[in-house]
Amino acid sequence: MEAIVGQDNQILIIIIVAIGLLLFMSFAIVLFFYFSRRRVIKAELENANLEIDHQKELLQSTIITQEEERKRIAQDLHDAISSKLNVVSLNANILSETDITSAEANKIGESIHKVTSMVLENSRRIAHDLLPPTLEKFGLQAALEELCEELIDTRKFKLTYEIDYPLEFLKCNEELHIFRIIQELMNNTIKHSEANELILSVITEENLLSLQYQDNGKGFQMDAMRAAKGLGMSGIEHRAIILEADLTIDSSPGNGILIKLKTTPKHAN
Amino acid sequence: MKVIVDIVGDLTFYLSLIYPLLYLKGFVANNKAFKIFTIYLLSIGVIMLFARLVIKVWEFESNLFLSHFYYVIQFVLLSLFYFQLLRSKWIYYIGGLVLLFLSYQYINDIQLYYRYNAIGMFLTHITLVVYALIYLYQSLDGKKEFTIVNTGIFIYLLSSSLIFASGNLVFDIDIPKTFTALLVDINNFLFLAFQILIIIEWYLNYRKRKVIPK
Repeated sequence: MEAIVGQDNQILIIIIVAIGLLLFMSFAIVLFFYFSRRRVIKAELENANLEIDHQKELLQSTIITQEEERKRIAQDLHDAISSKLNVVSLNANILSETDITSAEANKIGESIHKVTSMVLENSRRIAHDLLPPTLEKFGLQAALEELCEELIDTRKFKLTYEIDYPLEFLKCNEELHIFRIIQELMNNTIKHSEANELILSVITEENLLSLQYQDNGKGFQMDAMRAAKGLGMSGIEHRAIILEADLTIDSSPGNGILIKLKTTPKHAN
Repeated sequence: MKVIVDIVGDLTFYLSLIYPLLYLKGFVANNKAFKIFTIYLLSIGVIMLFARLVIKVWEFESNLFLSHFYYVIQFVLLSLFYFQLLRSKWIYYIGGLVLLFLSYQYINDIQLYYRYNAIGMFLTHITLVVYALIYLYQSLDGKKEFTIVNTGIFIYLLSSSLIFASGNLVFDIDIPKTFTALLVDINNFLFLAFQILIIIEWYLNYRKRKVIPK
């Protein structure tokens, strides 16, 4: 080294320094990539964990919804069928006794007839609530119209609706999701919203179904809705996820609710 | 100091003959990239062997002419190697252009054969460094094969490109031999680091027999 410096040859020193610099830079670049990669992997891991957490939440609220549905069905069966059948059973028991007059027997028979027709009507209603036969037989358009007519028949709401849905635009199970979403929205309006005006529109364009639902009820805080898992709203969100639909929920206290959903038929793609 | 430098010089020589054998063990079981890399290691080993034989056994004055074989073979084989890793047709086009340029250089100036082709070396090195950099970037998302070797290629080729580019300094009588020897020694150290990375890659990923899906 001394000999070189002694020669006062600047070029040589520059070459050595440049080699050192190149070495340093190459190390720096490699280290930069190494640490970036660790970061990328870490971020990916976090994302994966979030996804898993989300799936867990979804599963949990699905189970809660399912349990509530079971409870409701059990309640319905108990109130509308079991208790009435009890009455029938008692009356039938009285009939089997020998010391009753024929007038009494007639009266009891009439009562049994009345109660059994009520039970029949109730069981039909329960079955209808579980899966409306109109949907299966006549399609979504008819089922939605029936749903709207039923709501109008209650005379508590002023409902404006526009439904333009061509037959078999969506697949059967997708139609059911749309139907359930609207049914749930109406249930919420009836139960919680204190609204008196509703607007529903289901229209289809070339390859797009748009659903819009609006009421003028008391509305709610969006945060409160998110916190209340297992309620109707999360069910709607889950169905929207299954449909791969674009869902926006807009509500605030005093301003009712506005829901927009857009989806495309999957079999068309 | 002199002793250590000599040991490193000898070590790089012997290592360049040994690790091709390690890689050859997995030649059949592994994919195309591995095979090309093994051929590259073998070629470099053979050139290193010749470089010694030429001086010590056949007593030529210089083994400089081997440098031409060294960098052209290195460029061709590592380009093919990176084609396997990057799967970009551009590597063929760029490789073709560079080889065309080199052919032009040698046809234009036959005397170049007796000197270092500084420009050619620099060009091939930098091209390979760019491939290595792209591969480094690609391996950001997830586990890729040959990342250690790629790091070695990147560091070694980038930092040694200047050494090779200044190879013609040996002909400059104003520059003392101690200086050019110093450059050779620095190169030996860098090359040893590269060789160690090649061995680490083999030890970590290819020591046990396994088939990498193509």
